[in-house]
Amino acid sequence: MSHSDTVPLNTSSQSDIDEIENLLVMHQHGPSHTHYPGSVPAARPSSPPRASIPVSTSISVPSALPTPKTPVSVGPIPKPSMESPPTPDYGAGKAPTGFGGGPSANTLTEPVWLTIKRDLIRIGTNLRHVVFPNPYREDPGQALRDWDLWGPFFFIVFLGVAISYSASSDNSKVFAVVFAVLAAGAVILTLNVLLLGGHIIFFQSLSLLGYCLFPLDIGALICMLNSHPIVNGIVVLITLAWSSWAAYPFVSAAVSSNRKALAVYPVFLLYVSIGFFIFAV
Amino acid sequence: MNPITCLFHVLFKGLAIAFYILSSLFFKYFAIHFVITVLLEALDFWVVKNVSGRILVGLRWWNEVSDQGESIWRYESLDQEELARLNKKDSWLFWWTLYLNAAAWVVLGIIAIIKFNFDYLLVVGVCVALSVANLIGFTRCRKDAKKQIQAYASQAVASHVASTIQSAFSVV
Repeated sequence: MSHSDTVPLNTSSQSDIDEIENLLVMHQHGPSHTHYPGSVPAARPSSPPRASIPVSTSISVPSALPTPKTPVSVGPIPKPSMESPPTPDYGAGKAPTGFGGGPSANTLTEPVWLTIKRDLIRIGTNLRHVVFPNPYREDPGQALRDWDLWGPFFFIVFLGVAISYSASSDNSKVFAVVFAVLAAGAVILTLNVLLLGGHIIFFQSLSLLGYCLFPLDIGALICMLNSHPIVNGIVVLITLAWSSWAAYPFVSAAVSSNRKALAVYPVFLLYVSIGFFIFAV
Repeated sequence: MNPITCLFHVLFKGLAIAFYILSSLFFKYFAIHFVITVLLEALDFWVVKNVSGRILVGLRWWNEVSDQGESIWRYESLDQEELARLNKKDSWLFWWTLYLNAAAWVVLGIIAIIKFNFDYLLVVGVCVALSVANLIGFTRCRKDAKKQIQAYASQAVASHVASTIQSAFSVV
């Protein structure tokens, strides 16, 4: 554990911090650090806008911000003077607000709304990488590197509420069933990939499967507001295809090629059954 | 020492449990019970992990995905002098509420099983998962911190001994 990389930051801006990070990464991990081909810093989404260090707090030495690539431990955490109430959002990312992502000592003292904004941006970034058509789609294994579970949480809850809202019979049972099916389904599908000998990280895959529910959320919203069966059916079919299309590259990239179908089919099945829920309930 | 943080540390936990127990008095729909209880518990998870963990006991833990696709659990703690400066009451409160919260949700889960309320068991399951996750994370973090302190101390002693020997030789 070297403390030699603590750099006294006065009122540096974010670009300075990034430059220092890059210097440290290059310096410490020269030849031994394996990069994905041709994707040195560009593969990562650019670091989220962090607060510049507020001058009012009495911070001794905010240590240099290690990127998740470096195994250097951060120096002493500055003692913050946290007065503001905690933010009601929890995304992950460069700051350990959710589960995944690396540390950022500055976030101890940043204003609350900035944390919220950063987390929302992170959810948007993850969403964009996973769900939307993107001709420059990165290597699937990297796309959800900064996974977070809070986007999936909101999507699953919204789906449950939307489906149970328009349910004719027992609303609470419907909600519970939808939530349980989605949550258990995501866990089981991840286990499926792992048991097939695939290389995927548990939470990353959970996060991915949750984000791919976004199109189905849209479908459920439309079906909630509209009651024409044929239109509902078409909408469900389209969103279902979109969800499966979004999830396919990640799941298939994780397993060896002769087992792709075994890994992809259950995902498709899950989304089809949720589509049935949306349409029929 | 940090009354506001302590308050928030306990606030969301208490609200979640209270809302779970009293929910049938307020709303009819299970979906609302579920969403609000789980939301409160998740807020508590966030607060403990990101705010009160750092302020009250100086510990932080998170998970990273490395370039090779491995998931790494990281632990971080304040160094020796800062740790000594932490208020004992704060850390007592922190750890005890963490244990009690997890225990309370487990008890509520057992009650839900006995009453055959499997819908509510779902709620309790999620809340148990969240509180136990924080508990395990911080316990591991504390053990890691102790290990680091020991390693650092032994390293300091060894380097001190080496330097005194060196100076002794140089004098001779």
